[in-house]
Amino acid sequence: MSKPVLMRQMPQIAHVDVNCFYASAERAFDPSLEGRPLVVLSNNDGCAVTRSPEAKALGIPTGEPWFKLAPRAKEWGLVAKSSNYELYGDISARVMELLGRHSAWMEVYSIDEAFLGVKGEPEQLLALGRRIKDAVRRHVGVPVCVGIAPTKTLAKLCNKWAKNNPAFRGVCHWDGVPGPAREALLARLSVEEVWGIAGRLTRRLNLLGIFTVLDLLRADPVAIRDKFSVVLMRTVLELRGTPCIPMEEERIGRDQLIFSRSFSTPVTSVEGLRQVLGIYGQQASARLSKHGLQAKVLTAFAATSPFRQHEQAYPSVCVSLPMPTADPLLLTKAAHALLPHIRDGLRYAKAGLMLTDLRPTGNQPPLKPFENRHEERGIGPLLEDVSRRFGRGSIGLGHAGIKTGLDWTMKRDMRSPRYTTHWDELPLVRAA
Amino acid sequence: MGVIVGPRVIDAGASLFSVPISPVAVAAGFPSPAQDYFDGRIDLNAHLIKDITSTFVVRVTGDSMEGAGISDGDELIVNRALEPKDGSVVIAVLDGELTVKRLRITAAGVVLQAENPKYPDIRVSALSDLTVWGVATRCLHHV
Repeated sequence: MSKPVLMRQMPQIAHVDVNCFYASAERAFDPSLEGRPLVVLSNNDGCAVTRSPEAKALGIPTGEPWFKLAPRAKEWGLVAKSSNYELYGDISARVMELLGRHSAWMEVYSIDEAFLGVKGEPEQLLALGRRIKDAVRRHVGVPVCVGIAPTKTLAKLCNKWAKNNPAFRGVCHWDGVPGPAREALLARLSVEEVWGIAGRLTRRLNLLGIFTVLDLLRADPVAIRDKFSVVLMRTVLELRGTPCIPMEEERIGRDQLIFSRSFSTPVTSVEGLRQVLGIYGQQASARLSKHGLQAKVLTAFAATSPFRQHEQAYPSVCVSLPMPTADPLLLTKAAHALLPHIRDGLRYAKAGLMLTDLRPTGNQPPLKPFENRHEERGIGPLLEDVSRRFGRGSIGLGHAGIKTGLDWTMKRDMRSPRYTTHWDELPLVRAA
Repeated sequence: MGVIVGPRVIDAGASLFSVPISPVAVAAGFPSPAQDYFDGRIDLNAHLIKDITSTFVVRVTGDSMEGAGISDGDELIVNRALEPKDGSVVIAVLDGELTVKRLRITAAGVVLQAENPKYPDIRVSALSDLTVWGVATRCLHHV
């Protein structure tokens, strides 16, 4: 295992993400899926949210409803899988833990991508990128690509190149690409390929004669600010190599909510992290309620302080919630599953929660976020005690108390086993 | 509120099973990784799993590895990051399926062996033609 890179020069950003994450996670445990067109379907087996390269090659667009694909699946040899969020959550946690070992500074950006702070000579960075790629493949069994650049926006672009251009062999370093080649690549990319640029904005840019990434890079940042926004100006500056997108700490994406913070002073005790995770649990609950969502899978993680010569640790756990929920007590309790992995005395600089397998709350009105006083009244420990004695799901608050919850209404006919989180669903190996 | 064990403070309220039974003798030098998990009971995770990111548990179906003490229904602890060597019990991909075999790498070639005379050896032209999914490190045999 490689050591974290020594901090010497200007920091660079490595953007790492898993290729076709859900499909790759499925393939990691079912080699028969290798080379076959594969789609992973959204909740209720609605539409294709992840497509393997073979499925893309068939011309299946992202978001294609399954009922349209199903009649032709046999003819195509197309395999469909229902979302298996327990599996994806655990694979994600393993990938993130592994990535954390390669850099002192990491921002988990989504279930399948992270930004790492890295430093070194161009060839060292390229070598680091390859080590990261090889390590994830070897340890977890999923393929990643790595883009390394001075800014997040460029790192994401480099990752795209690494993915789409076999010559890069999965790792692209901005400084390693000669100037003319860079310009040629940028001139070939349309502007909506840039991080944060989509639909309407693209059309407005096109009206101004900005069609490619190179056009945008060459636009006057001030004019862009005046015509559009300071956000787009930052994008232009980032394309020019000036880092201006800070660490983001909270994000609600297509199918996940990430909630993490760096601490102003390190937290050094299990008790301290218990409090922090409790607060996050409540805040994440409020955030879910605001968007009318519930989560079924929670990942909690922490990371030690990067700029210290102390021992490093990046513990994380993935918890399958007993039912889809936005309940702050349940979320907090799930988040506390991280605590046994926390060591007193280490300096934790960051902790966070990632909620996945999100779905609309449905007919049940969302519970108002509880306040601390519930904890003080001892409801938490009481619940924990009852659950311990009578089993998980034997007691809950409000509609969280419904044992079967709403989960059984979900259609997941084609879900693969939860290979890594359920003892009775382990991968089978043939001895024959 | 803490209980002092060696140089670290362990909060007695920290986890469900946190009452330390007896502190282990602390030797000078590199600390045992198992100490990190010290909560007074043997933690199988600490002893059986070297690297949590690359360790998976699989279940065996079939009797072809009986000779290695691996029976139908047993669970194997598999480390995907280990380099397969001559003699390793490996999980190999054969015809799109995960298959457990004994790996033999000799001058004569690469062979996947069953540990049961009922099953023939499988010759592989080169190690590079073989996809090794992981290396089994322990068998959880049902006795």
